[in-house]
Amino acid sequence: MKPQVAFFDFTSCEGCQLNKLNLENDLLDILKHVDIVEFREAMDDKADHYDIAFIEGSISSPSCVERIHDIRRRSDILVALGSCAVNGGINAMKNLHPIDEVRETVYGKDKYLFATLPAMAVSSVVKVDYEVRGCPMNQQDFLKLLIALVLGKQAPKYNSPVCVECKLKENECLYNRGMVCLGPVTRGGCDALCPSFGQFCTGCRGILSNPNLDGMLEIMTNHGISLDEAKKRMLLFNSNEVQL
Amino acid sequence: MKRLQDVKAKEARDLYYPTMCKVVGARQITDLEKWYELQMPAGQDLGHEPGQFVEVSAFGIGEAPISISSSPSKKGSFELCIRQVGTLTNVLKRYEQGDMIGIRGPFGKGYPIEKLLGKDILIIAGGIGLVPLRSLINYVLDNRKDFGRLIILYGAKSPAELLFKEEIAIWETRDDVELHITVDQPDESWTGNTGVITTLIPGLDLNLNTTIAAITGPPIMYKFVIMSLKSKQLNDDQIYVSLERRMKCGVGKCGHCQINGVYCCQDGPVFNYTDIKPLEEAL
Amino acid sequence: MECYSLLRADVPALIDHLGKFGEVVAPHRKGDVSYSFESVLDSSQVVLDYNRTLLPLKKLFLPPVEKLMDFSLKNMSFDPVELTTQPRVFFGVHSYEMQSILRLDHSMLSGNAESNYFKRRKNSRFVGISFEPDDFHFSESVGIAIEEMEGFDLFLNEIDDDFQLYVLSDNGRSLIQGFKQIRTVEAELSGKREFKKKIRYHYNRLPRIFQYAYKSKVWADVAEKCVGCGACTLTCPTCFCFDVTDEVSVTAEDGLRQRTWDSCMLSTFAEVAGGENFREKTINRTRHRLYRKFKYITDEEGLPWCVGCGRCTAFCPAGISLPDIVNELIQEDEKAQYHHTVRV
Ligand SMILES: Cc1cc2nc3c(=O)[nH]c(=O)nc-3n(C[C@H](O)[C@H](O)[C@H](O)COP(=O)(O)OP(=O)(O)OC[C@H]3O[C@@H](n4cnc5c(N)ncnc54)[C@H](O)[C@@H]3O)c2cc1C
Ligand code: SF4
Ligand code: SF4
Ligand code: SF4
Ligand code: SF4
Ligand code: FES
Repeated sequence: MKPQVAFFDFTSCEGCQLNKLNLENDLLDILKHVDIVEFREAMDDKADHYDIAFIEGSISSPSCVERIHDIRRRSDILVALGSCAVNGGINAMKNLHPIDEVRETVYGKDKYLFATLPAMAVSSVVKVDYEVRGCPMNQQDFLKLLIALVLGKQAPKYNSPVCVECKLKENECLYNRGMVCLGPVTRGGCDALCPSFGQFCTGCRGILSNPNLDGMLEIMTNHGISLDEAKKRMLLFNSNEVQL
Repeated sequence: MKRLQDVKAKEARDLYYPTMCKVVGARQITDLEKWYELQMPAGQDLGHEPGQFVEVSAFGIGEAPISISSSPSKKGSFELCIRQVGTLTNVLKRYEQGDMIGIRGPFGKGYPIEKLLGKDILIIAGGIGLVPLRSLINYVLDNRKDFGRLIILYGAKSPAELLFKEEIAIWETRDDVELHITVDQPDESWTGNTGVITTLIPGLDLNLNTTIAAITGPPIMYKFVIMSLKSKQLNDDQIYVSLERRMKCGVGKCGHCQINGVYCCQDGPVFNYTDIKPLEEAL
Repeated sequence: MECYSLLRADVPALIDHLGKFGEVVAPHRKGDVSYSFESVLDSSQVVLDYNRTLLPLKKLFLPPVEKLMDFSLKNMSFDPVELTTQPRVFFGVHSYEMQSILRLDHSMLSGNAESNYFKRRKNSRFVGISFEPDDFHFSESVGIAIEEMEGFDLFLNEIDDDFQLYVLSDNGRSLIQGFKQIRTVEAELSGKREFKKKIRYHYNRLPRIFQYAYKSKVWADVAEKCVGCGACTLTCPTCFCFDVTDEVSVTAEDGLRQRTWDSCMLSTFAEVAGGENFREKTINRTRHRLYRKFKYITDEEGLPWCVGCGRCTAFCPAGISLPDIVNELIQEDEKAQYHHTVRV
């Protein structure tokens, strides 16, 4: 029997990222492998068991908390899609002032029941088995994960900097053009999307597991931005992951 | 320096194509380890030395270096024993008799058998380190008169993690094998030695001039075992270690397995201790 | 030496002429301030004065991403890649770059000789060109002069804005056969070009420096600044490490195995399943990189494995300079020797 999969939407900036998937081309192939039993809007969840639940968006209200616990109970594998779900993403940034307070709120278990919550990663509420990083979520990544799950193999993990893919594509480094880029400490896997279009990397796929953040800040300030600005840039997508 | 003009076209080979081998036997022997018996196409032999390894692959998953666990004296098939720790090894767990597995190799340097002839062989295996050493043990047993004593020290975390239990039972009954087993965490039924493997060494009565030690185990084990052996007055050149490093190509190209300037996949994985002693990254 | 004069204006015609032999690859502009080796479509677009290309010529012999085989998951079988190679002329190559190819030959062809590399490498011709060293070039310090012609079939030496064309091999001679816009002249190698960046010692003294530098404080200083992005190694013409991965198509029925350039500066490079990392700290990795350039292979082959192209320094976002590291090691060694002498 094909795995039964469902998609659920929580708080994310642009709503449904899956719309961005090139579904016309890939949907048929995907449907060969899985049965999609629920799609985000179906709020009154019907099935009582999912093989794989895909979660978009961050957790930012008490009702979200309840709902995600419920989904987790009914799912074998739970996957966070996109940076909002993976680490709170840009949503986290908006709510987070001052950062210390928020950190306490995020990780202090008792504080879930506040009326408004800061944007939290799904993983700070329930166990997440796999993640597809990026803002928006990377399509190829999503497909790779799906295939890996179908083949019963572990999903690819990305812990090499964006610079690797950027170099392999022989892009001109933005630092050589007087810009400041977060590529050196950001998890790759996006094929260096932004630098390939002349945009600096904003770190949307999260920070590497063992980064030299002081070194990164020094690079940024040496290239003409203030320490404050450098920190802001680094926190944009990663305020839940990085301590500065 | 090797120059292009010195290379003949037929010398340049496709280094990365596997040979598809058939699984003719497969058994999960502990919670984490599975044993496989494989056959090359057309009844060929793998043609390995004890201590060598192969690159095992499953298409769509990847490749991993795995020691050859059977002795070259065993003809017609060869054996592997794989611990499930990551992507490929967990997928291989599902492989059963009749499935096909890709194999490249054998690669690397094994034990220099000609230097071991006539010597007392002291095997020191920690955990999964028994897998490659089993090839040497069985080689010695199959050519028993060519060697002196065979002393086997084997340590595992717990009795449940002991590998090749049936074979060990046979070794135990032979009077030409001196077998000492220890576990770190005994269970109720365990009556043997407890403690780390180094505790077995002080009590050994070794013939100093004729003993060759072969050590394989987790990275932290080597330093302590070598210290104990040194206190038994063994010389550096009487000690062989088999080292593990990340590997990708197995043929000295990809760079992953370097230990300082040495390639573990080509110059090892079996090294004489004198050769790696000066290398800071070795132990 | 067989030498001709060639006017700058006639260079595009020469490039067109080279096209008779095969595909011509030459430096082109890339982005705002950079260059890259590309196939020549229009010879007037070829750049004659450039400092260095983003990626080394290596990319055309050992591609950044290379398919090793196609496989079928259904049949558990694979199809080899049938690599067909055409004759290629590499035009406008600097001497250090040529030297890097000769070193790469050793890396890919000694021990186990690799067929894909061999096939790409065969049937290539090289036309060198002199260059004006910038702030980052230091090839002279590693024994490679601007006019070093080893490995080239032809070499263009710039003199007073025009060129002298040296013919260095039979292959070179046949490349220019029938090309009319050249005149025989006396060979005259100008020595006016000065390197701004230097390693303070002759390169044959460096193995000794590295013999004692393993525990140097310098590594920690570098590690503090290094963010481990891998740019220094991914752009280095003599680096050749790679990773191998399997990619499966969306149908989950077939896929391909490929290799991709990897870098020993990445924290995951020596990590194994279970989390053990054999080069866990940045200082281990930085040191390894420099030892690979100046000690390990050098001890065996007698040559530095760095060709002084300056890429690792020019492209390091943290501004870490390889020749500066070497100079600091030298200075540290001198200090140690000085103290030693004083005490004795
Ligand atoms: C010479 C040698 C002999 C070995 N013999 C055995 C054996 O007989 N039985 C056994 O169970 N294990 C053995 N290992 C360890 C085994 O190679 C790893 O457990 C295996 O590579 C993990 O692969 P994975 O895909 O499951 O894990 P992942 O963590 O997903 O690894 C991905 C890739 O990294 C590399 N890699 C990861 N861990 C190691 C490692 N420990 N050593 C080398 N490369 C690694 C491999 O290329 C692997 O495909 C040996 C290792 C070496 C170097
Ligand atoms: S542009 Fe950014 S990602 Fe690309 S190499 Fe430069 S720093 Fe790295
Ligand atoms: S380059 Fe950076 S910001 Fe752009 S997609 Fe990749 S990780 Fe995200
Ligand atoms: S380019 Fe610079 S920052 Fe990046 S890994 Fe190399 S030395 Fe470190
Ligand atoms: S180490 Fe640096 S200067 Fe030397 S060859 Fe490599 S990139 Fe060029
Ligand atoms: S495993 Fe590739 S060089 Fe040793």
